[in-house]
Amino acid sequence: MQQEKWVRKIRAGDQAAFREFYEAYAGAAIRTACAITNNREMAKDAVQETFIRVYRQIDSFNQELPFDPWFYRILTNECLRLLKRESPLSTIESVLNDPSLAEESFDQLTDLYDSIQALDDHNRIPLILKYIKGFSEKEIADILELNLNTVKSRLFKGRMRLREQLEPTRKEDKS
Amino acid sequence: MSKFDERIKRELEEKTDADVHELKEDIWNEINKELFEGRRTKMKHKKRWVPAVFIAAAALVLAFTLQTDPGLALIKSIKDMFAPEKEIIQSIEGQDEPTEVHLNEGRNSEYIIYVDESRYKMIKGEDADVITTIEPLPEKYPEVSMEIRQYPSNKPEALVKEIEEELKIDFPDLRDVETVSEPVEGFWLHGLTEVTWDGKVIDVYVISNGKDGSFVITKKYFLEAAEGHGARFSHMLKSFEIIE
Repeated sequence: MQQEKWVRKIRAGDQAAFREFYEAYAGAAIRTACAITNNREMAKDAVQETFIRVYRQIDSFNQELPFDPWFYRILTNECLRLLKRESPLSTIESVLNDPSLAEESFDQLTDLYDSIQALDDHNRIPLILKYIKGFSEKEIADILELNLNTVKSRLFKGRMRLREQLEPTRKEDKS
Repeated sequence: MSKFDERIKRELEEKTDADVHELKEDIWNEINKELFEGRRTKMKHKKRWVPAVFIAAAALVLAFTLQTDPGLALIKSIKDMFAPEKEIIQSIEGQDEPTEVHLNEGRNSEYIIYVDESRYKMIKGEDADVITTIEPLPEKYPEVSMEIRQYPSNKPEALVKEIEEELKIDFPDLRDVETVSEPVEGFWLHGLTEVTWDGKVIDVYVISNGKDGSFVITKKYFLEAAEGHGARFSHMLKSFEIIE
């Protein structure tokens, strides 16, 4: 409900409402962008650009749909665009689908955050969206414009990989 | 959420905490330059809190209800009418959260509301009831509470104007009164002292009591808690029902 009010106010050009919206959304947006890009400066640019786009393009938001997936689709695309710019040979599609180059070193990692960052991007990004913002599988599928079963599979594999890494004696997630 | 899930969530939060604190203000400054530079920004003046003086005639009118047989019968019928507890799904910070809520009766059985008793408690007062955190928050946090007060002889249309004038003292940028249908149907006032994580937020709902008076529900929290305590209060308030 609060989002609806913010959207209405921002559409009307209410600067104070936009600032309130920023205060409420910036924390999770910064966390998400930092985790996706693993680069503070890039994350800063992505979050900044996202909020600017939201302000300028709020009219394109369909109020029949939930707001958060729309916001995070902009944020995620912006992170991926900046990552792509840093690595001109890769494409957004490849960022989401190619195995990570960090594969070889994965088994030596003991820190959970490093292990998350060492996952393939197509497993890592859905995990970040799930655990930072608490998005459902359906919402993650909407944000990343992927098939729901693809998201389920990637989340499962990502969690399994982390669990194997951190709890090598356990073969299954019994939770 | 399993322990493993919680561990991943906690790890991501902890490892990005410093980023949030160090980047948040810088990013806003850049956004502000890009979108609003050159626009005149209203300065917010810190003003002394002047306690609002509202009419409290309700206490006198209804104080003896519980002393009477009809009053006791009313309580019994309320307990028969509503489930003592139920589970609701509330969306908190984007995540659906199943929460068990418990039936609470307002003072003199004037209303009912379901309270998330795992986090909040309801304190019944002489003139008003207050729902607040079970454990007091550390001093650095502004007040977090939701007060429910009845004004049996003040109609909402007049009362909301009176409250608006009072609030403008502490919330100079108080928004214009709006009519809302959620979480309750009535008038809504919204104010914010300053745009910082601990800026005080106030939401006041003024609704009809079904007769010649009003209920005034005042939510107090702080900006960073808008999607936490603010949202939880709204979910609880959706269950508010007046007992006639």
